[in-house]
Amino acid sequence: MSDQHAAAGEQVLVCDNVSRWFGGLQALKSISISVRRGEIFGLVGPNGSGKTTLVNAVTGFYPPQEGDIRFLGTSINRMKPHRVAMQGIARTFQNVALFRGMSVLENILLGRHIFMRPSALASLFYWWWAQKEEIAHREKAEEIIDLLQLESVRDEPVDVIPLGMQKRVELARALCAEPKFLILDEPMAGMNQEEKEYMVRFILDAQEALGLTVLLLEHHMDVVTAICDRVVVLNNGEKIAEGPAREAINDPAVVAAYIGKRHDAA
Amino acid sequence: MFYRQSGVHHTRYQTARRLWPLPTDQRIVWLLLALAVAAPFYMSDLYLTSYMLPWLIWSAAALSLTLLMGIAGQLHFGFAAVMAIGAYTSIHLTRAGVPFELALIGAGLMSAVIGCIFGAAALRVKGLYLVMATLAMQYLVDWTIINVPAISGGAQATLSTPSVSLLFVPLRGDTALYYGALLWAVIVTLLVLNIKRTSFGRALVAVRDKDFAAAVIGVNPFKYKLLAFFTSSFLGGVSGAVLAFCYYQAVTPEQFGFNVSIQLVAMVLVGGLGSVIGAFLGAGFVLLVPIILTNVVAYAAVAGWLTVSSNLLAHIPLMVYGGLIIGFILFEPLGLAKIYDNIRKYFLVWPFRHTQS
Ligand SMILES: Nc1ncnc2c1ncn2[C@@H]1O[C@H](COP(=O)(O)OP(=O)(O)OP(=O)(O)O)[C@@H](O)[C@H]1O
Ligand SMILES: [Mg+2]
Repeated sequence: MSDQHAAAGEQVLVCDNVSRWFGGLQALKSISISVRRGEIFGLVGPNGSGKTTLVNAVTGFYPPQEGDIRFLGTSINRMKPHRVAMQGIARTFQNVALFRGMSVLENILLGRHIFMRPSALASLFYWWWAQKEEIAHREKAEEIIDLLQLESVRDEPVDVIPLGMQKRVELARALCAEPKFLILDEPMAGMNQEEKEYMVRFILDAQEALGLTVLLLEHHMDVVTAICDRVVVLNNGEKIAEGPAREAINDPAVVAAYIGKRHDAA
Repeated sequence: MFYRQSGVHHTRYQTARRLWPLPTDQRIVWLLLALAVAAPFYMSDLYLTSYMLPWLIWSAAALSLTLLMGIAGQLHFGFAAVMAIGAYTSIHLTRAGVPFELALIGAGLMSAVIGCIFGAAALRVKGLYLVMATLAMQYLVDWTIINVPAISGGAQATLSTPSVSLLFVPLRGDTALYYGALLWAVIVTLLVLNIKRTSFGRALVAVRDKDFAAAVIGVNPFKYKLLAFFTSSFLGGVSGAVLAFCYYQAVTPEQFGFNVSIQLVAMVLVGGLGSVIGAFLGAGFVLLVPIILTNVVAYAAVAGWLTVSSNLLAHIPLMVYGGLIIGFILFEPLGLAKIYDNIRKYFLVWPFRHTQS
């Protein structure tokens, strides 16, 4: 634990004055954040504040037009999404993005893709070539299935299981890639209280068991204050507060932003 | 009943991952294989060479296409052109003295490379435009073959296949040709089945289902779409070569025209996208339809019930394929394979009615 403390200063992800426009709309206004090794970093903000856009910039879907993004010291600014994944960044999506044509197990096994060597030849000579690899990675996938308690749905097609389970499968797929850095985009959205508590438990378990650094995008303030070490609050693409979770969330600017939004909605 | 899941317990991943985990399925597969191997001994030459043999080769071709259309999700309306490239390449290579086995691989590679070039261009566009791009391939390849005498041997020419031997067995006589076709069908079947249960197949399906989610776990969508074109075109090219050597024993450009591409798409769709058994069922269905139709129409014409010109007669099968494709898309998108699956599940849960999925 002591060396964890020593490394606490090490920055895993650094976003440096990142800006992104969609046409005339500036979705990110010069955002800077830095996430340190081993922490759970919260990214909070009302609807449309730019949380998902920032994550899409980091993972290569919408490269920022201005600013720089570094991961463990290397710039990942212009990398394609699959190259970003190979750097050790895994993420889940706000709207579950599982492969509907496959079973839960196959979805989770896909998380092992970057460690496998898929080829038609290896498949042709399956018994001498691919089988060993498949079984080795199956064992790793089963560890994650164990950790997230997915045994009962292992062989089900993903689209027949409940939403809460689907979110858990997506987390399992991400964890299977043994990422150094995990981005969770509203992992509790659309869940009931029990499912939410399970999810929090799983995130904490996984973070501890696998020594992860986590970037958590979240709406629910109770969850944020309970598990995030530090947070950044966005509003309309601007950073309006940052710091330890409880303090940042009680910042007058944040309270105003959230209350303002509620007025709009009503 | 004979079809039961109970009592089948897997204690190792190796057995759980078998192609057919249920003993009954295994017995059915072995029985079918035995029937196919023994076919020359109980089938008349006519049935063997004009039904069984083409059915096996067309099934292999349909399997090659279903890998691209069903598993990787990329439409291809020019697959007959891919087969044509394979057929012509193999003939020219064997005529130049290259051993048949190597000529087959050469045929596959040539189809794969040209297929990939068109694929790479086609992949810049999506959906309907992909259809147009593959159609363009069909017409460009057709045109090139017809107009370059070095390939076709002249505009109206027929190139006959030289005599060759496969694995030291001369490919001569009905039985040898049949076994050549059977061997290829078995290889393609095993390959596609194995692709479906390994990382390669999962990556293809992932890109088909959600390319952005595939990218996020490190799958390069463009690379895998291209690999799908490559593999599928390779298999299609070899299937074209096998068709030329084991069935037609000669090639002309018309054998691989646009209507053949439509037939192949019909085989895949009627059989069930991405299904292995569906490729066999679809190929059989599409091959039998014109035979049955022609007989029915000819019978009706002889009986004086209707008069049809021979020109119309030739087009009836195409119209029926069109109708079948639309019908299956509307009423049973999963094709004949789904119907087979329903029957199998019926026995699996008999005497109850409830199936798992
Ligand atoms: N692809 C896009 N094209 C155009 N505008 C976009 C696009 N993606 C996001 N936006 C806009 O950028 C702004 C930020 O959206 P973003 O999805 O990042 O918000 P968010 O904080 O994730 O909100 P939520 O809590 O609803 O998920 C919104 O105004 C949205 O309309
Ligand atoms: Mg969002």
